[in-house]
Order: sequence, then C-alpha cells, then structure tokens
Amino acid sequence: MYGWIWRHLPGNTWVKALISLVLALAIVFLLFQYVFPWAEPLLPFNDVTVDQGMEAVR
Amino acid sequence: MTATGQDADACGVDDTEASETSVTTSTPPPPPRRARRRIAAVISVIGELLITAGVVMGLFVAYSLWWTNVLAERAAHHQGDQVRQHWAKSKSPEQKGLDTKDGIGFLHVPAMKNGEVLVKKGTSSKVLNDGVAGYYTDPVKSALPQDKTGNFTLAAHRDGHGAKFHNIDKLKKGDAVVYESQDTWYVYKVFATLPQTSKYDVGVLEKTPKASGKRKPGRYITLTTCTPVYTSTYRYIVWGELVRTEKVDADRTPPKELR
Repeated sequence: MYGWIWRHLPGNTWVKALISLVLALAIVFLLFQYVFPWAEPLLPFNDVTVDQGMEAVR
Repeated sequence: MTATGQDADACGVDDTEASETSVTTSTPPPPPRRARRRIAAVISVIGELLITAGVVMGLFVAYSLWWTNVLAERAAHHQGDQVRQHWAKSKSPEQKGLDTKDGIGFLHVPAMKNGEVLVKKGTSSKVLNDGVAGYYTDPVKSALPQDKTGNFTLAAHRDGHGAKFHNIDKLKKGDAVVYESQDTWYVYKVFATLPQTSKYDVGVLEKTPKASGKRKPGRYITLTTCTPVYTSTYRYIVWGELVRTEKVDADRTPPKELR
C-alpha cells in the first residue's frame, strides 16, 4: 500500500519524501482536528459526572 | 540482451530453451508463483493497515493526554481572564446576579497543586472540555456557595482537557478547598472522601449528602471526577464543609489557606 503510494508520487526521492511528509502531517491534522474530537465522546475514557444512566444522557 | 544471456548462463541451457521458458512463465501454467505473490501482497497490505492502526491509536493517546490539555489551558486562561476583567470593571460590591455565562468564580485547592480553576455552569463535555470545573444542573441541581444551605457540586476532568481534578486523590481530611467569587472567599474543609463509587451514584450530589455521613443541612461542597486515572469506570468523590467566609479586599488578598 505505502509502496504503491511511493511509486505513484511524482519527482525524485527528495521530492517524494517531502510530499510524503506533507501528506502525513495533513493526516495527523485531520485526525486531531476532526476525527479524534468526534471519536472521544464515544469512548469510555473521560466521563466525569455522576448521572442516572441512559435516561439522563444529554 | 545481456539479461537473456545471463539467464541462459544461469540455467545452463542454450538460447532457444531460455526463450521457451520465458514464454512459458508469462503464459498458462505458472500459477504457484503468481498466486504466492498475490497472497504476499494481500498480507503486506493487511500488515500495513495494522501498523497504521497502531500509529493512529498512539496518536489518539497523544491527543487525549497532551493536545486536549493544550487546548483546554488556552480556553481556560482566556475565559478566566474575561471573568477577572468583568469583576474589575463592575467594582461595585452589590450583588447584581451571577454572570453564569463566563463563569461564576474560581476554585483553589492547594492540595491539588493546580492553581485556580474557573467554575462554570453545567457539566456537559462542551463546558468541561475547556479546562474548567462545572457545577451540576442535572441530575441534581447544585446549590451555590452563597446559598444558606445546600451542596455546591462540581465536576472536572481527571485526564486530558486540562485535567483539573487529576490530583483529587491527594486531598485528605482537613485539606482546604477555597472558592473565590467576586466579593467573597469561601473556605471549605474536606471532611470525607469516597475513592470509588458507581457512576450512577447520584446520591452524592444531594443537598445533604448522606453518603458522606452528614445528616443535617449545611453548606457543603462536592467534587466529582472519574477514577481510576485514564478510565471512567467509577467516580471519585470528595466532600467539604464551609468553615468560614472572608470578604475580598481591594488587593484580593487570598485567605491564609492559600498563602
């Protein structure tokens, strides 16, 4: 998969490396900005309040 | 051409045979090699996906334990500054209703070593994710410190998003919990802790929290957060009782507990 992407990037090795780095950073940005904030409330790591269970879920 | 020659040399056969073999490899019967290559390709894609999943999970940990703190500290400082500015502007000590939108005051807990914590209305994650403590509006409505009796009930994050109650387990009986409003310092003393309780234990928020051992109405404070650290299986509860109040002076000199 990554080999395929690498082969399809244009330019010489340095250009490819640069593009790969930019792509990786873009993906990290998307994860931090959109995916993780969306996923976080769905995961049971950070509920801090006491409540009455399902009927009181806001 | 050299390649074919080398092939022929390696196989130890003449040119005609070499060309024949090359023809046979590119046409019908050679499935084993190609099939194997395809299987290898599939496995390597699966492997790469698994590695990617591992990296994404690692990033999620970094996000939860580091990045949310960065964002929350920024938001909390900004909002805290706004509250202080409001207070400075409306110097007149008359109670003109609480400004619950920006936050109502600050919580200082020396034993938690986390500076001041802005207190805002509500305990939804939208509020708490800004690195503040929220007072309950649901399922049991919190009292406010200036009320004659009742329970001032707060929640904040244990990890990530400012992690304002991370050190809640450092609070021991007799430790001070000080709430600062625009014109009054409310000094509470911890009298009971509950290191682990169900997340449905709404009773801890009652006006007179019986689980703490109190039977008579008084002016209480309740801190709630999740436990054990990094999970939210249970809740950690700390109860305090008001011991005195102090008027805030012109320099906002903190009470002796905070000095």
